[in-house]
Amino acid sequence: MDWKRTRESADAWHMTDDLHAEHGKGDPFAAAIRATRMSMIITDPRRPDNPIVFANDAFLRLSGYGRGEVIGKNCRFLQGPKTDKAAIAAIRAAIADKTDLAVDILNYRKDGSTFWNALYLSPVSNDKGELQFFFASQLDVSDRKRSEHRITADKDRFEKAVKERTAELEAALEAQTTLLHEVDHRVKNNLQMISSLIIMQSRSIKDEATKRSLKTMLERIEALSTVHRRLYQSKDVSRFDVSDFAKDLVTDLLTASGRSGIKSKLDLEPIVISAEKATPVALMVNELVTNALKHAFKEGPDGTTAGRIGIKMSQPDGHFNIEVSDDGVGMTDASGDASFGMRLIKSLARQLRANIEWHDAGPGTKVVISMPNEPQQKGNVS
Amino acid sequence: MIEPLKILIIEDEALLAMELESLVEEAGHSVVGWATSSSEAKSMVGSTDADIAFVDIHLTDGPTGVEVAEYIGQKKSSVVVFMTANPKRIPDHFAGAVGVIAKPYTMNGLTSALRYLQEGVRRPPPVSTRPAGFTLSPAFEAVWAPPVA
Repeated sequence: MDWKRTRESADAWHMTDDLHAEHGKGDPFAAAIRATRMSMIITDPRRPDNPIVFANDAFLRLSGYGRGEVIGKNCRFLQGPKTDKAAIAAIRAAIADKTDLAVDILNYRKDGSTFWNALYLSPVSNDKGELQFFFASQLDVSDRKRSEHRITADKDRFEKAVKERTAELEAALEAQTTLLHEVDHRVKNNLQMISSLIIMQSRSIKDEATKRSLKTMLERIEALSTVHRRLYQSKDVSRFDVSDFAKDLVTDLLTASGRSGIKSKLDLEPIVISAEKATPVALMVNELVTNALKHAFKEGPDGTTAGRIGIKMSQPDGHFNIEVSDDGVGMTDASGDASFGMRLIKSLARQLRANIEWHDAGPGTKVVISMPNEPQQKGNVS
Repeated sequence: MIEPLKILIIEDEALLAMELESLVEEAGHSVVGWATSSSEAKSMVGSTDADIAFVDIHLTDGPTGVEVAEYIGQKKSSVVVFMTANPKRIPDHFAGAVGVIAKPYTMNGLTSALRYLQEGVRRPPPVSTRPAGFTLSPAFEAVWAPPVA
């Protein structure tokens, strides 16, 4: 404790006289307040303009003023042009209401430099409850304020950076989506052109066997076309609803055959497979249905053909089953092992790791295909 | 026997237009014109009397098919059916068009669509099943949609 220096100050003595406090000079509490590193002042609201009646050395060090320059003055000399008006108003209100206040306020030293003051203000009353003084302590929190400002600035900078990066990524995604649509558009247009070329070519061909070959080829390409038309209708281009496809395909093939006596019986669970399986599955179903249409049914004496083609799709645990059945003449001439169609079916089955069996359904034939189908989880594109 | 349709083809791909013309004629209808750009299409709308205009979205002067559809809609010269590989470019209101035949269509898909449209234009509402790959616009769905699903 710096008793000596404080005693040597004439103003300090004057101060303690002014205080008229119950704590007289020589009181160890008063000595402690004088000497503490915490800047403290006492003002007297009973005098005009609530002047400072006591200021400790720490206050003088913090503010840069001499004791003679502050005693008898109102504290507002600490304020300056950049001091927040709201903070000043808060102090005024606390004094008027005789309440406690803690506020951070930008103050000015004698030399014009600024510091952030964590001001604590509280009224002091005597035993009778009459207001005697205001006690105020000042703590220089410029460092804390600086880091607060830096954190705010950093946060703003990061938020800006994140916003910019998000915009970049959105633009990249937009560009990629546009590209995907463009490629999709071209694939579909090209499939349409391939079909058109085959149709045009077949018009000029007289030989019936060649014409039939071209028609079979057209059917296969149209099956691929139907896959592509369906593939990009959904939002998720990595998934393919195979039951919707089967419905389109069978309706198309039956009406195209022009044999209204042949009906379809569809028993289709909604089944989603990965996009890469769409093409082989579609080609296989196309082969089986066209095969049945070509070979299973015999023309009746009246020139019409009657019959039924059934497709059933189901997915018992982890498997995807397709059944293509007809009530026609049976397997005898339906499964020529050497035909290209049959080889195609068997190769596609291998590619899909599918098991394929032909059953005599008496009447007709039933082909059962069973393949593993992983649970369709988001992000699983296997 | 329903009276056949007169059809205007607005399509920038010569091969597709050629083949479409053959399919339309095989189905007993006639093609009254073929335009490849929006300007050609607009001038042809005035000089022909088509029942149906098949309009591709993408023409030689860009994605102007929707604009052509709107122009035809204002003239009330014929009904419009979009034919596109890019159905997502069609606005929600379909620019007044009946619907869209999505490319790639199958040969039978197109023949069925022609039959359906013939019924719709000559004796609405159509009685045939709506073909796979053909989507009705919301406005025509309300008028042409089959009573039973």
